[in-house]
Amino acid sequence: MNDSNLMTHAIDVDNIGRKPSSDVSATETCISVENFSLFYGDKQALFDINMALPRNQVTAFIGPSGCGKSTLLRCFNRMNDLIDSVRTEGTISIDGENIHQRGRNVTELRRRVGMVFQKPNPFPKSIYENVAYGLRLQGVNKRRVLDEAVERSLRQAALWDEVKDRLDDNAFGLSGGQQQRLVIARAVAVEPDVLLLDEPASALDPISTLKIEELIHELKERYTIVIVTHNMQQAARVSDHTAFLYIGELIEFGDTRQLFTVPQKKQTEDYITGRYG
Amino acid sequence: MKNNLQWRLFIDRWATRLVSIGGVGVIASVALIFFYLLYEIVPLFRPADAHLLASYSEAAPAKSDTLYLAVEEQGEFGLRILSSGQLQFFSTADGAVIRTVQAPIPTGSTVASVAGADPDQTLLALALDRGGVLVLSYHFRVSFDGAVRSLTPVIKYPYGDLPIDLAAQGSVAQVAIQREDEETTILAATDQGELLRVRFVAEESFLGLEEETTPEPVVDYLGKVQGNVCRLLMDRVQRLVYLALCDGNVEFYALNDAGVQLLETRQVVAPNAQLTVMEFVSGTYSFLVGDSLGQVHQWFPTRDADNRLILQRVRGFKPLTGGAPIRQLVAEQRRKGFAALAEDGALGLYNTTAQRQVLEMQVDAGSKRLALAPRANFMLVDSDSEGQAYWRVENEHPEVSWSSLWDEVWYESYPEPDYVWQSSAATNDFEPKFSLTPLVFGTVKAAFYAMLFAAPLAIFGAVYTGYFMHPRMRGLVKPVIENMGALPTVIIGFLAGLWLAPVLEANLAGFFSLLVVAPLAVIVASFIYFRLPRSAKAAVPEGLEGLFLIPYLLLVGWICFSAGGLVESMLFGGDMRVWVTDELGLDFDQRNSLVVGIAMGVAVIPTIFSMAEDAIFSVPKHLTQGSLALGATSWQTLSRVVILTASPGIFSAVMIGLGRAVGETMIVLMATGNTPLMDLNIFSGMRTLSANIAVEMPESEVGSTHFRVLFLAAMVLFMLTFLFNTVAELVRQRLRERYSSL
Repeated sequence: MNDSNLMTHAIDVDNIGRKPSSDVSATETCISVENFSLFYGDKQALFDINMALPRNQVTAFIGPSGCGKSTLLRCFNRMNDLIDSVRTEGTISIDGENIHQRGRNVTELRRRVGMVFQKPNPFPKSIYENVAYGLRLQGVNKRRVLDEAVERSLRQAALWDEVKDRLDDNAFGLSGGQQQRLVIARAVAVEPDVLLLDEPASALDPISTLKIEELIHELKERYTIVIVTHNMQQAARVSDHTAFLYIGELIEFGDTRQLFTVPQKKQTEDYITGRYG
Repeated sequence: MKNNLQWRLFIDRWATRLVSIGGVGVIASVALIFFYLLYEIVPLFRPADAHLLASYSEAAPAKSDTLYLAVEEQGEFGLRILSSGQLQFFSTADGAVIRTVQAPIPTGSTVASVAGADPDQTLLALALDRGGVLVLSYHFRVSFDGAVRSLTPVIKYPYGDLPIDLAAQGSVAQVAIQREDEETTILAATDQGELLRVRFVAEESFLGLEEETTPEPVVDYLGKVQGNVCRLLMDRVQRLVYLALCDGNVEFYALNDAGVQLLETRQVVAPNAQLTVMEFVSGTYSFLVGDSLGQVHQWFPTRDADNRLILQRVRGFKPLTGGAPIRQLVAEQRRKGFAALAEDGALGLYNTTAQRQVLEMQVDAGSKRLALAPRANFMLVDSDSEGQAYWRVENEHPEVSWSSLWDEVWYESYPEPDYVWQSSAATNDFEPKFSLTPLVFGTVKAAFYAMLFAAPLAIFGAVYTGYFMHPRMRGLVKPVIENMGALPTVIIGFLAGLWLAPVLEANLAGFFSLLVVAPLAVIVASFIYFRLPRSAKAAVPEGLEGLFLIPYLLLVGWICFSAGGLVESMLFGGDMRVWVTDELGLDFDQRNSLVVGIAMGVAVIPTIFSMAEDAIFSVPKHLTQGSLALGATSWQTLSRVVILTASPGIFSAVMIGLGRAVGETMIVLMATGNTPLMDLNIFSGMRTLSANIAVEMPESEVGSTHFRVLFLAAMVLFMLTFLFNTVAELVRQRLRERYSSL
């Protein structure tokens, strides 16, 4: 570690990896990506990605626009299936199971791998029904079970105190930051194993962003979190591991503190010092 | 740079103005239509009005022995018949007598009563107290002296200028006369209660020339009546006789060649009242009874459960203030209206169909006699003390009232009260039936069946197109369906009426089996497609799999229609049409609601489809993805998020489709029988407000009641569509507030 180097990188060192974490290889792997490539029609978007994301930790994907970080994230719950022309090679396994296996139930996968999008997307329903949505999909309709799940999820999303008196109000009455936490509550209500966050704070104001970041920090106790972000400070603040992608290739993947302070690759250094992106 | 900015501001300002002008213009033109409709309708609801034109007690003092009073067509002259047999023609402007004619009655004899023949009351029978009847007719001959038109009264004695001798025991008290074609009947009742009949049958000459010879009377003695004959009425076809006794009973007779047959004796006034007057409504089908309590009731014959003719009280009328006994009832000659004069001088104008008092006014308390001009636009009132008063009456639209427009009305010769629209007929004494209820009903019925057909197809189609369909296919389907909307409705109506209606009639069973078979066939087809080997699927152009359904469904349709005969013979005894009529007891018209439903459905589908599809397609992708990311299936996402979010759009699509179906004209005009029925049966036709306007407006007289009622129908239609669109907009706003995600 080199202080002068840190200064030039303009990274808030104090906040990097607040919680000490062990080496990637030392922890249990949750998501493993092996020789994974993805094509939009004839155009290849991801090139031979290999990585292992550790359980109950936060992994951030960074990289310039169009580098494929969101595409990779969307592969983890097969959201890319919605695009007809997408074709993949290689394997992605979650808890040792290949998610692209024939006969694999996609809806079950998506229940286990929750996702939060860039723009808050609450449904046009009440706050309560938004959180209960995933459970109702599975046929849970007992009021007591739902009540418990809604409260638990809202508490986990640090939203309970703000909305407990107006659970039947329309979710659109919430502020953008609250909506995004509601969406997180909705995602955790079905008790997934993995939580994918696709630039969850990019549409929010700084205070809301801060709250989301704090929330991510708390949520990693329970969930394996993968976050895509444009904001390198955010990646540095919230993640334990960081992957840097560039034009569809995984350039570098490692401990966040290490990646931001002593990047192994020239391209990574160029990116985090702001030479492109 | 600065110029450029000014130019942009200039453009902006003018664009704003133009858009505002356009918007205000649209609102203004809608308002203008509204006010024009209102302008045409308002006269319907104005009360009648009467104002005094002249009164003259000096020039021609009213004679207390006046028996009969009449005003001619133009309202220029009046006729008064005195008991002495004197006929006085006088000017209505100043009362000056212009001609006096002494009827040739035997000296010493006086006229007891006078009766006129329907409809114009110019054929008169004078009952003589010495036991005879004199028949005379009058008219006014028009001559021109230069540019000045003058009217000369002419009197004729069609059955001889000598009274017809009835060889009766007493004097003739009451008389009735009617002439229909060449047959004339006179009924006479003597003060002894004897009833006599005189008939004249004109002999037709071979050349069809008017016979100048006087036909010979045939006198029959019909019988004797117990009681005092107060009034004698006989209908125009000389088949029914109503004989009022002064105690309030009416004896109802059938008249035939052999004589009379008593059908019923009926108390027509309240037990504590006396019958004071009885008079026909024009057409001689129903009659009015006035009593000493000031009540006026309308009666006519109907058939009871055993198919016997009985008298039926149809309606009562709002009594005149004061409640004095009714002195006289005078029927309008060309409408179902009448005037009632009470002994205290209260005078009311009424319409029977509308059960409406259009005017109540006060004339001199000593008024004895009343006459209405044939057009009911002038009124002459004879008073003992004050002479005569000549009134101009403005009573253009007495036939319209809330009840005549919307309620069941018991029309003349109908077995029971009913909702009927029948605005015109071949005869002059026709009772116009302006019930808007069957038209509104028909409109709603047509719209209902159209929506029944169109809404599910259009909405399901929109859901599929907007949510599931491959973009390539969608790019084909959407414009094609939207182009369907450009099809002129006259072509749809033409095809529906001339091609679809007979085809459907011949293939009813085939059509209904298609309704069941087609969805099943589609499910089977998609199942087969899923089971196809991958290589076979690869041969199908991506996204265009649905196109294969078109020939497939055509084939299924052809099979259904071919097998229709088999289905009919198995389930419906060989002919479904006969089965519908006999087993279900439903009327079957070839041009029925089913045809209209399909044809109008075809017209409405593009509207609903296009708007609903837009609504579904524009549900934000991040909502569907959010739902899918939570583990929802496509179907769950569709039913729980997409439809919900698109619901404002889908709802307003349906409402706008409904508004269109309500206002649609050409299709219903051509594909329905235009029969104004109140019947939800899918196999019968209907008449809608819009088709009714289209059919009848060209033949209605401008400014007539019929004309204005058609405008009223247009107003009702306008309000209906306005209502639908407003409700649609309000609900849409509410839904949008709740479900908008923007």
